[in-house]
Order: sequence, then C-alpha cells, then structure tokens
Amino acid sequence: MNNLLAVPVLLCLFGAGATFLAGRHPGVQRAVSVTAVAAVCVVAGVLVWLTDSAPLVLWVGDWPQPLGIVLVADRLAALMLLVAALVSLAVLVYATGLDQDEVRRETPVSIFHPTFLLLVAGVSNAFLAGDLFNLFVSFELLLFASYVLLTMGGTKDRVRAGSVYVVVNLVSSALFLVALASCYAATGTVNLADLAVRLAELPAEVRGVLQVLLLTVFGLKAAVFPLSAWLPHSYPTAPAPVTAVFAGLLTKVGVYAIIRTQTLLFPTEPLSLLLGVVGIATMLLGILGAVAQGEIKRMLSFTLVSHIGYMVFGISLATSAALAGAIFYAAHHITIQATLFLVAGLIQRVGGSSSLDRLGGLARLSPLLGALFLVPAMNLAGIPPLSGFVAKLALLQAGVADAGPMAWALVAAGVVTSLLTLYAMAKVWNRAFWGVVPEQATARVTTLSRQGRLLPRLMVGSTLGLVVLALAFTVAAGPMYGYVERSATALFDRSYIAAVLSGGER
Amino acid sequence: MTANLTLALVAGALIACGVYLITERSLSRILIGVVLASNGVNVLFLVASGPAGGAPIIGLTPGPQMSDPLPQAMVLTAIVITLSVAAFVMTMAYRSFQINGDDEVADDVEDARIAELARADLASESYEEMGFSDTGEDVVSE
Amino acid sequence: MLMALIAAHLGLAVCAPLLARVLGQRTFLLAALAPATAFAMLVGLGPTVLSGGVVVETLEWIPALGVALDFRIGLVQWLLSLVVTGIGAVVLAYCRWYFEADPPQARVVGLLTAFCAAMIGLVTADDLVVVYVFWEATTVFSYLLIGHDPTRRANRSAALTALIVTTTGGLAMLVGLLALGHAAGTYSLAAIVAAPPSGPVVAVAALLVLVGALSKSALVPFHFWLPGAMAAPTPISAYLHAAAMVKAGVYLVAVLAPALAASPGWRPAVWVLGALTLFLGGWRALRQDDLKLLLAYGTVSQLGLLVLLLGTGTRAAALGGLAMVLAHALFKATLFLVVGVVDHSAGTRQLSQLSGLHRRLPVTAVVAAVAAASMAGLPPTIGFMAKEAGLEGLTNLALTGDGTGIAPVPGWALVAVVVVGSAITVAYSLRFWWGAFGPKPGVAPSGLAHPPSAGFAAGPVLLALASLAAGFVPGPLTAVLQPYAQTLATGEESHGLVLVPSPGAPLYASLIAIVAGAVLFWQRERIAAVQQTFPAVPAAADLYRTTMRGLDRLAVEVTDRTQRGSLASYVGTILVVLTGALAVTLAGIRDWPAVHLADNAGQVMVGLLVVVAGFLVATSRGRLRALVLLGVAGYGTAVLFLLHGAPDLALTQVLVETVSLLVFLLVLRKLPKYFTERPLTSGRWWRVLISAATGVAFTLVAVLMIGSRTATPVSAPYPEVAKSFGYGNNIVNVVLVDTRAWDTIGEIAVLSIAATGVASLIFLRGRASRVRRADLDPLRGWLRGSRVLPPGERSLMFEVVTRLLFPLMMIVSVYLLVAGHNLPGGGFAGGLVAGTALLVRYLAGGGSELDEAMPIPAGVLLGSGLVVSVLTAITPLSVGGLIFQSYDVYLRVPGWESLATPWGSWTLLGDIHLVSSTAFDIGVYLVVLGMMLDLGRSLGSGIDVQARDGLTPAPEPESNRAIPGRRWDR
Repeated sequence: MNNLLAVPVLLCLFGAGATFLAGRHPGVQRAVSVTAVAAVCVVAGVLVWLTDSAPLVLWVGDWPQPLGIVLVADRLAALMLLVAALVSLAVLVYATGLDQDEVRRETPVSIFHPTFLLLVAGVSNAFLAGDLFNLFVSFELLLFASYVLLTMGGTKDRVRAGSVYVVVNLVSSALFLVALASCYAATGTVNLADLAVRLAELPAEVRGVLQVLLLTVFGLKAAVFPLSAWLPHSYPTAPAPVTAVFAGLLTKVGVYAIIRTQTLLFPTEPLSLLLGVVGIATMLLGILGAVAQGEIKRMLSFTLVSHIGYMVFGISLATSAALAGAIFYAAHHITIQATLFLVAGLIQRVGGSSSLDRLGGLARLSPLLGALFLVPAMNLAGIPPLSGFVAKLALLQAGVADAGPMAWALVAAGVVTSLLTLYAMAKVWNRAFWGVVPEQATARVTTLSRQGRLLPRLMVGSTLGLVVLALAFTVAAGPMYGYVERSATALFDRSYIAAVLSGGER
Repeated sequence: MTANLTLALVAGALIACGVYLITERSLSRILIGVVLASNGVNVLFLVASGPAGGAPIIGLTPGPQMSDPLPQAMVLTAIVITLSVAAFVMTMAYRSFQINGDDEVADDVEDARIAELARADLASESYEEMGFSDTGEDVVSE
Repeated sequence: MLMALIAAHLGLAVCAPLLARVLGQRTFLLAALAPATAFAMLVGLGPTVLSGGVVVETLEWIPALGVALDFRIGLVQWLLSLVVTGIGAVVLAYCRWYFEADPPQARVVGLLTAFCAAMIGLVTADDLVVVYVFWEATTVFSYLLIGHDPTRRANRSAALTALIVTTTGGLAMLVGLLALGHAAGTYSLAAIVAAPPSGPVVAVAALLVLVGALSKSALVPFHFWLPGAMAAPTPISAYLHAAAMVKAGVYLVAVLAPALAASPGWRPAVWVLGALTLFLGGWRALRQDDLKLLLAYGTVSQLGLLVLLLGTGTRAAALGGLAMVLAHALFKATLFLVVGVVDHSAGTRQLSQLSGLHRRLPVTAVVAAVAAASMAGLPPTIGFMAKEAGLEGLTNLALTGDGTGIAPVPGWALVAVVVVGSAITVAYSLRFWWGAFGPKPGVAPSGLAHPPSAGFAAGPVLLALASLAAGFVPGPLTAVLQPYAQTLATGEESHGLVLVPSPGAPLYASLIAIVAGAVLFWQRERIAAVQQTFPAVPAAADLYRTTMRGLDRLAVEVTDRTQRGSLASYVGTILVVLTGALAVTLAGIRDWPAVHLADNAGQVMVGLLVVVAGFLVATSRGRLRALVLLGVAGYGTAVLFLLHGAPDLALTQVLVETVSLLVFLLVLRKLPKYFTERPLTSGRWWRVLISAATGVAFTLVAVLMIGSRTATPVSAPYPEVAKSFGYGNNIVNVVLVDTRAWDTIGEIAVLSIAATGVASLIFLRGRASRVRRADLDPLRGWLRGSRVLPPGERSLMFEVVTRLLFPLMMIVSVYLLVAGHNLPGGGFAGGLVAGTALLVRYLAGGGSELDEAMPIPAGVLLGSGLVVSVLTAITPLSVGGLIFQSYDVYLRVPGWESLATPWGSWTLLGDIHLVSSTAFDIGVYLVVLGMMLDLGRSLGSGIDVQARDGLTPAPEPESNRAIPGRRWDR
C-alpha cells in the first residue's frame, strides 16, 4: 500500500524519460505527459482518502531505520499534492491548447513536456519527502525545471528575468546546503522525524540558529518580505502557462516547508512575533506593489507575494485553528493564482497586450473572458462566498480568537490587504474590461475569431476547470475544512514522528 | 566532537570569495562565484562529518576508522548538481552575449518606470482619477 | 422553500443569456416571476409570522468554522423581504418596457435577478457570517450594475467608488461581526439578540458593525457614493439605490438595536450622523436640477432619518422607523419609476427643461403627486403616519429621555434638526413634482417623444396605490409593526400609527415642518441664492478622492523603496537578513565548543593553497585567468576530500572540475577576454563587508554545530549493514545507488533537465538538431569526421593522441561503472569519463566527429537512463518488496573463473556478483553520458554552426564587450 507514495514521482520520471525518447513525436509527448499528470491526480486523490485515517510511510529500499530515505504522506502533504497535481494538469492542458506557432515560440514540445513533468515530480516529492536532504533534492529538481521553463525561447527579457531568478535560487540552494550540513553536524541525521527527536535534546539557542537558517531558506522560496523582491522581477516575462504553474506551486512548496519544519522541528519556538511582523509586511507591501503596477502579470505577481503573507499570518499564530486557515488558504491560493495567470494569457491573446493602458472594453469584446476573469479576481479579493473568503474567514476567526495585540494587528492588516486586493482587481476590471475598445483590438479580435483562434477550446476549458475547482472549494467547504482542520491538529500531536519511527505498516 | 578549524576557515573563506563574486553584475563572474561558494559549502560538509578517517570501503578500512560516508554521499550529489549549474548558467551567459553583447544582469525596466513615477511624484499608470459630481462635465449619466 | 427560491433566482440569472437570446426584452417579465413567487410565498407565511411565530430553514455549510446557512424569518425579516421581493417584481417587469428600445439586456436581467436573490438572503439569514456573504454579494452586483455604460470615466469611477466605500465598511463590519460572534459564542442573530454579550471588545465590535451599516446606507461620511450610483439605469437605481440595497444597513441597525443600542457610543453616533445626513442630503436635494439626482439626495436624507429612528432603540422611535422603512420603499421606488417614465417620454430629466407635463402625463402626474405627498409626510399617506410616529418617539426622547438617558437640550436639538429636515423634505418634494410636471414660465411646454405604454406606467401606479391605501389602515398596520417595537427593552409604548393625530408635540412639530417646507419652496429662488453664497466646504467626496490618490502615491513610493530591481540588491538583502539573524542568535551562545586546528598537516597546506586561489579568483579580471585559478581551487578541494578520507568525492570532484573547465572553454572561445569593468564605488565595500560577514557567520555556525553534537550519527551502523543490505564494499556508492537511491534518481533527473536547458538555450526551438552523418560514408578511416574540418583547424598530433586516448577512456569508464560498488567509482564517475572522451573526440574532430562517435540523439540516452532507473525502482514490487529494495545473484561462467598459469592461477572473472542496484547505476551512467553528449552537441557543434551563420557574439578587440550575434529576435 505505502509503495503508492513513490508512484507520483516515478510516474513523472518515467513520463519524462518517455518524452525524451519520443523526441520527435509531439503528439506522443503530449499524450504521455497528460496521462502521467492525470494519473498523479488520481493517486493523490487516493492518498488524500487513505491519509485521513493514518499517515502513510514508505522507507525506500527497506533499509534499517533511520538509514534510508523515508517518504511520508500525512493529510497536509496529501492535500497539497492533490491540489498541486490538479492545477498542473489544467496548466498542461492549457499549454497543449496553444497554437502551433505559439508552441514553437513559447513551449517547444521536446523541451517543455519532459521539463514540465520533472517539475511536477519535484513538487510532488517536496510534499512527500520525510528527509531533509531529499527535500533539498526535490527543490533542486523543481528549481532546475523552472530555470529551463523560465528561459524557454531565450528572448532578451527571459534571459534577463531568468538570470535573476536562477542566481537568487542558486544562493538559496547554497544556503539550504549550509543548513543541511549544520543539521547533520549537530544531530547526525537528516531524517525529519529523527531530527525532531534529536533537536529536542540540543540546547535551545543552538536549535535557534538552525531554525533561523531553515526559515531563511524556505522564506526565500515562499517569497516572504524582505526575501520576496526577486519574484515580481522574474515571473511576469515567462509564457502564461509557465507563470501560472510557478505562481501556483513553487511558492507554496516553500510555505509547506515552513509549516512542516516549524511544527515538526521547532514546536516549542513558534517565533510568533517575528513571523507576525513578517506576515504583516508581506501582506501590505506586496499589495501596495500590486496597486502600483500598470501591467496585469506584474500586478498578479505582487498579489502573489502579498497573499503569501496570509499564510504566514496563520503560521505565526501557531494555533491549530490558525494553521488550518493557513493550509486552506494555501490550497485556495494555489488554484486561484494559477487561474488568474492563465486568464492573463487569454487577455494577452484577445487584447493583444497585458498592460492596462493598451486594453479596454474586453467585457464587451468577449463576455466569456469577462466572466473567466471576474470570478477568480473576486475570489482572490476574498469576496464571499468564494473560497478566498472562506480562507480569510478562517484566519480572521483565528486572529479574533487569539485576541493578542499582534493577532489584532494581523487581523487589521489582513482586512486592509483584502480591500486593496479588491481595489487592484477592480482597477484591472475598470481599465481592461470596461472603457472604450481600442480599434486595433476590434480588428484583431475579428480576424482571430474568423480563424476560430480567439479562445481555443482547450485553453478556455482548462481555465474554466480551475475556476470551477475553486468554486468547488466553496461548495464543499464543510468537508474540506473539516479535513484541513484535522490535518492542522495532527501537526501538533506528534503523530508524524510516531508514524515514521514506528516504520508505518508494511 | 570538536570542529576542524582549518576546514571551517577554508569553507568560510571560499564562501566569502564566492559571495563577493555573486554580488557582481557579470553573469559569468557570478557563476564563478557560485562554483567557488559551492566548493566552500562542500568543505563545510567535511567539517560537519566529524573527524577525518580512512576511506569508507569495507575491507580497506576497519569500521571504527572510517570517515563518515553519509555526508560524502550528500556532497557527491551536490558536486554533480554544481556541474549542471555551471553548464546551464554558462550557456545563459553565452546567450546573453549573443543578444546584448555583454553578460550583465540588467536591472528591471518596470521597476525603473516605478522609480521615475516616484521621483516625479506621480500616481501609478493604472491609476484613474476618481471623478464624478452632480454638476459639471463629469456628471454621471446612464 | 426559501433556499429553493434563492437558488431558483440564481439559476434564472445564470440562464439569462440564453433566455435573452430567445425572449428578448420579455426575459424581464419571466425574471419578474421569481420575486413575484417569493412575494406570494412570503404572504403565505403572513399568518405564522404575524402570530409571533418564526419560519426557520437551515443547511450545514462549514461546521468547523461555526458557519451554517441558517435562515430565520421573524417580523422584520418578513417585512423587509416583502419589500425586496414585491418591489423587485415590479421593477423587473417595468424594465421590460424601460429597455424596449435597447438590444436584449441579458446582463441586466441576470444581475438584477441575482441581486434579488442576494437581497432576499441578506434580510432573512440568521447567521451573521451568511448575512455578510449576501451583503458583499449585493455590493458586487451593484458595482457591476452601476457600470452599465462603462465607456464614460465618470461612470466607471462612480462604480468603483461605490464598491470601495461599501466594501471598506463591509470589512470593518466583518471584523465586528466576528468579534461579536466570538464574544457571544454563536453567529446566530436571534441568539445574540436574546442574550447580548458585553464588554469592551463588544463595544468596539458594535461600532465596527455600525460603520458597515452606515457605509451601506450612505450615511455621512459615506454618503457621496450614492449620487454617483445614479449612473445605473433608472429602474436599477430605483431598486438598488432607493428601495432595497441601501436598506440593508437600516435593516442591520434595526435587528441589532435591541441588542446593541445601549452599547457605549452607539446612540450618539447614530443620532449625530443620522441628523447630519438628514439635513445635508435634503439641503443638497434642494438645488439639484436632475430629477434623479434630486431623488438620490432625498434618499440620502431619508436614510439618515431611518437610521436615526431605528438606531435610537426606543419603542416609539422603532415603531416610527419601521413604518418609515415601508413608506420610504414605496414612495421612493414610485418616484424613481416616474422619473424613468418622464425621461423616456419627454427625453430629459432636467427639471429646468421640463414644463407642463401634468397635461401630457396626467396619470403619472397624479401618481407622482401621491408619492411625493407620502415623501413630504402629508396625510392621508403612510408617509405622514410614519413621520408622526417617528416624531413621537423623538419628542419622547426630548421630554423624558425615554430610557436612553439623553439630556433635554440635546434631545430637543435632535427634534429641531429632524423638524428642519422634514421641512426641507417637504420643500424638495414640492420641488420634485413642480419640476417634473408643473408649468414653468419661460420654458416651452415639453412634448412627448413617445407616450408611455400602459405596462410602463403600471408599475408606479401600483406602488403609489399601496402608499395611499396603507394610509387608511393605521390600526392593522400598527398591530403588524408593534411586536417589533416590543422586542426593545427601553422606552415607553408608542400610541401607534394614526391618520388623525391628537394634538401634541409630534403634531405641532410636523405642522411646523410642513408650513416651513412650503415657505422654503415658495422662496426657492432666494434659497438658491443663499446656497450660492455658502462657502465651499471640503466635502467627504474630495476627502475620498485625495485618500485614493494618496494611497496610489503611497503604493508607488513604497514599491520604489522595496523593489530596487537589481540582482545584487536582492542577493544583498537576503544575505544581510540571514547574517543579521545569525548574528543575533549566535550572540546568544554562551559556551562555545572547543576546536582543533586540523586532522593532518596536509589539510593546512592544501587549505591555504585553496584559499589563496579563491582570493585570486575573486580579484582577477581576466576570464581565462579566473577559470584557471578556479580550477586550482577545485582540484585543491579534491585533495582536501582525499585527505579527509573520501576517495569517491575526490575522484568525482576531479572529473567534474575537468568537465566544467572544458565546458567553460567551449563557451569562452566566443567571449571577450576580460570581465566587464565595475567602477570602484561604495557598492564594492558593501560587497566586501557582506561577503566577509557571510563567511565568518558560516564558519562559526559550522564550529558551533559539530561542537554541539552529542548523538551518534545514523551512519554509524553502515560498516555492518552496507554488505548485508547493499551487497557492496564501497559504502559511499552503496549509499548513492541503494540507501539513498531516491536522492540519486532525483539528481539524475536534474542532470537531464540541465542538459535540456542548455540545448534549449542554444537551439531555442527544440532539443539538439538532427544527428548529421551525411557525406562521410565514402570516407574511410579513423576520425573521419575531422576530414570535413577546414585543414587549418586540424591538428595531427591531437588526432593521434585522441586515437589512443578514446578507447582507453571508454574502458576506464566501464571499469569505474562496474567496480564502483566495491571500489571508488560508480555511474557518475564512469559517465563523466565516457563523456569527457566524447568531448575529446569533438575537440579533435569537430561536430561531425562527435556525431560519428555517438550517432544517436542525446535525448535517447537521457530518456533510456531515466526509464532504466525507474524500472529498477519498481522491479522489487514484482516480488513483493519495497521501491528500490535491492537483491543480488552470483554468476559463475564455467571455464572462465580463473586462468592457470605457471605463476599460479589468476582470477579471471571469478564469481560474478551481480547486484540489482548495478542496473540503477547503469541508468545513472546513461543519463550522465547523455548530458555530456548534449553539452558537446550544444556548446560544441551548436556554437560552431551558429558561428558559421554569424550568429555568435564577436568579442570587440581591446574591450570587455562583444558585438551581438546578427539578427536575433530581441
């Protein structure tokens, strides 16, 4: 049964291998990658269902514990995996929907598909890794994939953005290695559960040093202020599907790592004050950045940073209610941020640009596009009853319940951020979807739609799928939140450690 | 267990040199910095793995005298990854030369735009003056 | 039932586009059926509700957050939902004619119907969070409806203003509601009213909720969004911004007053802001020329009065207030619809251009007269009775304090303001009727563009009749409303609604108001003149405008500060943050562990060498120089590995250094000799500082960490288990291909991507170009590929060396692969050696030589490598093992075990010991080889091809720049 844990990663690796071998057959490559990712979705679904009873544990290679590498899926990991897989699938379908010329320019099949699969492999492994060094390898995997995807086509802008992104992440990888060396030096292990046990025996201040190292590394991945400036610099230039999957998954892997390490390794030092301040700064400065932008993809990159702050909000309070909020927010945000970037791609397609002063009257040109933007935009702004609201509600509730000064500050910041997010989204709506239609846009749209290439079925379908997924979060908020809450409470009892070190059922 | 000061210092020094180069503008120079720093980090792993010893090969070294093999495996992984980094970033530098004639990592143009706005005390490009009244030309109408 | 109705509304809204295509404007009539049905249903509930009962419906939503779809129809909910559905039906029907001339209005139908649903939900939900859900929904729909014609900037910003202002209030309210719910332990409105919580938090929460209510109901200082909302088509304004949505705030005040009216700050806020709004709105209404705007300001003023009455929370005032809500809904909707009729018939809404319409539109004129009378509070309308009751409540306040503890002076002041307000109301009511229908000297009698059809006029007539009829049933009406008043603890019983009031303060008050109002209207020119002379005070609208601009400016400034946009600054920030944090934590370390200088003298000397090399690298300006020194540092590190007892590391490090050098050189041939200059700026010293800090910090961390280890490392048992579990002697290799194979499989995946990335940056449109073996076949001999090179690029010496070297290297690589499991080596080492051999072939013979050496695409090697690895990973499952579990077999080839020689028997093959993990090592080997091939093809042949096409950068002599490759799509 627990061999299942290896399946998502192996599926992607195998798929990647197959797509390499099928180098000159785009059709085959598409089929392979879509099948692989779809299969991952299924497996993830099963894992979500299985882990609700007990965490699954796989000691790869069946070595005497804790020698080998262990893969662990508790509710949190399984949920993240499922949402991530679904979003990846949608993005993949979207990418296959591009025109031929776009494909050659934006996502050269022989490069895009294997790389994308390996990205998914990296992300999946990051969620399942029960070993700090294996987590590092997963990060390297997804980072390298992202380097390639980001610089695909090698245009001027992408090389510039790519260089920044690559260098920053090389630094973060080096720091991660330092953290790893330190952890091993101090404890003689890199197995997370074992580490948790051994760290508890170290003097608190030594533990503090390790905590600082890990927090910096993961904070950098999650793009929390002041470690976030690189993100808006590098994301917007990439092709829409690439940006979408980045925005959805990569930062959340960092958030996941923070949640995991904070609750598992440093349960006694929540650093509430520090994280609270960081959370507030991330939320406010991020959203102000979004308000200042005049280009949709950049604006979205800033909202991405800003809303990571909400998750930090939850983590900093370090109550199970707050963490549940953070987890739900992560699941919601993966979906919605990816959706919006896909929509941005469609906007560029219809309007011929993504900068607000060259757009206008899109709602008139294509009501469908209008709906496709409006719903997720409102969702991002936390307009009820959409999933963004549910997530925000959970966090605010936790804050009000905590009722400490920092909690109130976080609540205030959270509310202001959601207002400004609404303002930013309304700006886009007012400028791009309302207002007068530029002539060239009309001409462009008529030609495109005459060729039937205005809104390709696959692209719209996949985007719509994600919108619906987000709506499903609202409809199924009851059971889903129940699951999230159970996963949050499980982070505080030491069930994870117990499950791993007892070896889990064979 | 006590630290090997020499190795710790070597690691620190290499990392410092690497960082100095990483904060450069020229991509190829940054890359050299990254490689240098990675060497430093790998040495750091030696420090972390405790005292030196014989090669961890059964039959060659008796168990107790062996150096800790686990960090070595990690470092080996890290080394190979560094190779991939080197190849990829070097290619990026080449590509950058091919396009721009240099391999300097240019600053973000959009941020420069924002900075101009800030200097000129202007509102953002997406800002639309809130304007309506019950008299005058900006009166709302159906 | 109720939820089903709401769902039906939404369903209808979603289907609107399809329906509109079929039915055209008649869709409105269909849509009107939804609220009509709801209205009927509610009337059906009448007996239950009026006999003091409640209708409850509930559905689970998010139990974990204590949120459920609870609906609870009590008296107030019942009345409000009647208003919402009744007027909703009328307005939707009215739209059918209003939009007659326009194209099908799917959008409007959908949004109006959806809004209707939200409104029903809002006034019937019992769970405060659910109330908020519908509350925000109405806000968004209103935003979209105001932007009906978004081509005008004024309309867009009006819509945005409405959205932002009401949402701001809404979010404040949300926090308030959550705090309230947390204090009460429930979000149920009924439960909270039954047992109101108290305490400082609750007091603040109450005020926050009030903020939300006031912003929604457009009270000062939020009032300015409502006139802007008039950008919506008239029927929409009639429904959203007069009858329904703006009542949401009033409703909330009404239902919370029993619980919160007494909470500190509530009553003063309600009184002051209510009175202010009442006066300000009326005052502005007096000078409007656009009939619709006149009504809009009238609405603002009336909402002030409503909140004032219901917020006071005394029985008498409450009765008046609730009656007023009904009255206002009826007459204000009527008047808006009338304006619509007038506008469409006469083609304008400007009262200065309308004249003598009472002759052209007699019915509408009468209807308007009735509604206006109700607005002005003249008998025999419901408006009159409501105002009477309201004044009674207020005079009670002034006379006795009525349980609120308000002093007489402010009490009377309140009454006075309300009287003045009513007077103004009378004035602008008259002005409205006169403006719309009255004959005006000097204005040409307006003609009718097209007379209104019966259906068009029917709506207003219906509503006006209601206003009138209600005026004749004071008794029953009182009986209906009284129960709400009784839910309030404070204040004495009202006398109820009466058509013929007995003399008393209230009556005198309203008489004064009416007379004064008439005078105001009669003297309107003077008043206007007076208004002109008033100094222009900075209005709330301007404040809002400056705030929004300030916000945007702030955003720009902040972003300018936080988003420097340069890589160095990003890296700098990261390291400063880290070192800072480390400094703080390290400072907390009291007892530092001891250190020892080194394990052996070699470490010190080699270490010194490495460090010196490092410094020289950092300071060298020449690319080649830097690379050579980097190599020195790298090889030095390899020696350090060896000295530490890590032969595998040393071996791999050496190979990797060599390969990287080759790669660098391949690229370097096209790059300038020197790095780009950097002027010596303060920046450099910062960099030195940061680098030093980082280095020191990490050294300290390392010392501290290893120093504080007490536990035995997990790797301790390896010498025992490596053999028994991994069947190998070389523990490091066992770890790589077996214990931590899961890391290694990820790592080779990284290699395959890196290779792909390199290829993608060179060939851009895909992986390596097709393997070219053309025009070589006729040629014979070794290194045939080199023959296609121009003679000048060939070196005989090198070719000979290569000839000897290549087979040797290949053998070595295979040996390393096989031996790796027991001696230093393994898949990586083997693959790297083989790859280097390929690169040597390339260097000797060029691209086609490389293709000769390895006539298959790199992708195939990478792919097969990955596939092999995955297969080895899953094979154990077939025998019920775990992923990557490894097994071994002994193989004995008869006759080949050993070779008997005079010098004794040499072991030839012996017992061949096959370990399943070797298969995995082969996968690794393949991937590494594939990567090397890709590097050769891209950075070798690929760049050669580009050079042939003049696409490579050409270094400028005596410069650190190069001329970019020709025709690059920038």
